[in-house]
Amino acid sequence: MKENKDKLTRRDFIGGAIRGLSLIGLGGLSGLLVSRARATDTVWQIDPYKCIQCGRCADNCVLEISAVKCVHSYDMCGYCRLCTGYFIPEPNALNTSAENQLCPLGAIKRTFVEDPYYEYTIIEELCIGCGKCVKGCFSFGNGSLFLQVRHDRCVNCNECAIAKNCPADAFKRVPANKPYIFKGAEPKS
Amino acid sequence: MKTSKSSLITGIIIGIAIIIAVAIILRTAMTVDKKTTIGNAFIYDINELTKTDPNLIKYKEINKIKTELQNPTGIATDSNDRIYVSGDKSIKIFDNQGNIESEIKLTDYPKCLAVADDGNIYVGMKEHLEIYNQSGSRIAKWESLGTNALITSVDANKDNVFVADAIGKKVLIYDLSGNQKNSIGKFIIPSPYFDLDVALDGLLWIVNPGPHKLEAYTLDGNMQLSWGETSIGIKGFSGCCNPVSFAILPDGRFVTAEKGVPRVKVYSNTGVFESVVAGAEAFKDTVGVYNPDDTKDTRKALDVAVDSIGRILILDPIEKTVRIFISNKE
Repeated sequence: MKENKDKLTRRDFIGGAIRGLSLIGLGGLSGLLVSRARATDTVWQIDPYKCIQCGRCADNCVLEISAVKCVHSYDMCGYCRLCTGYFIPEPNALNTSAENQLCPLGAIKRTFVEDPYYEYTIIEELCIGCGKCVKGCFSFGNGSLFLQVRHDRCVNCNECAIAKNCPADAFKRVPANKPYIFKGAEPKS
Repeated sequence: MKTSKSSLITGIIIGIAIIIAVAIILRTAMTVDKKTTIGNAFIYDINELTKTDPNLIKYKEINKIKTELQNPTGIATDSNDRIYVSGDKSIKIFDNQGNIESEIKLTDYPKCLAVADDGNIYVGMKEHLEIYNQSGSRIAKWESLGTNALITSVDANKDNVFVADAIGKKVLIYDLSGNQKNSIGKFIIPSPYFDLDVALDGLLWIVNPGPHKLEAYTLDGNMQLSWGETSIGIKGFSGCCNPVSFAILPDGRFVTAEKGVPRVKVYSNTGVFESVVAGAEAFKDTVGVYNPDDTKDTRKALDVAVDSIGRILILDPIEKTVRIFISNKE
């Protein structure tokens, strides 16, 4: 009889396995719910002061066209005639010819304001978030162009594919009710 | 039964090991460093722009003075070649060999400074000017230019004091008692770098950084001369706003410092490029970065001064040092 007690019966094995799986499932469900709750409270954003304009935002996003786009802080902008975010380093003329533009997609519009000032506007439909203009502005200008995750596009993955590959650790979770990190003055809503 | 129980345990262990191994492999594959694949057209490589032809470098560094300041902001020399550095809430005074002589404690954060021939030290705070004597006592505090002002440069001669206001985009001329005599402007100042210097012939040289020009004015505001070429090439000035600072050598030639591509160069007294003092290779790449988070001081660009024997003194705000250069021929 003693020997029988030590034996693992099929019933015991199946019962134990079901109890074990139930516990794992319950734990997993709780974890999922907790992480979902956290995800709805926070969203991904780029800290523009950490960003090094490496170009990875353009093609590391799970979306076909990245949720990251260039944005412009107009109150920081110098409205320069020679904008280093718009022009290649040595343009043959300061005009809107394609060969003089830094952006390969022509995603920045240059508009004359008054001599010698020009306004620069990001054409969001064309911008893929490569950050080439941001690097030009940051390196040689005053840094009024910067990258941000646009929340009309971002699907808020739990594990952001860009954040995982960001070499500057510039991606972070921010409160969903304050989803952007602005340079310069915050725009009035 | 004993055999089947041990087989079951072995099977479970092997199964768990396989699952762990697969999980590790998948995790490694997913976290492998995924670089961008968007192609060269989308990558801005600025390293090529920062290379200097070594044949153009005609100066060598002979000394480096540690300022022991967290935020060094400006440099000046006096008629005895003593070196003055502003920063934090003080002014440090060094002899011409770099030995500390004294320190003047300030009540505010200085942005720039100049030393007049009579030894008085003119210190530009954000929106007002303070004057100290050689004993370190404040002898005057001038009226504020207003909250919407940013003093980035000051100079003085025996009759006048000159103040550059980067936000107002103008230069103000005062008598020695602080009465405003004239105002020159408006200049094109995309970011807060706006320098001036009075030449020995009395002309007031002002950087107009937007169009990359140095312009000479009479005291009544008439422009007499200008020079400067827009180019990323070594002979020109590039970016939104350069040169960020300059000084005039005893023989009338100009020393200029730039941000973006940080470099210090010498031009003839008519503005013809002559040589490089220090190329971008000599500076850490963060020099020139504008950091609006830094509330105490936004200037992170180089500042330059010269002394009576033509030595060039570069204030490096990243190294927090004064770097002294002389001609290779010496």
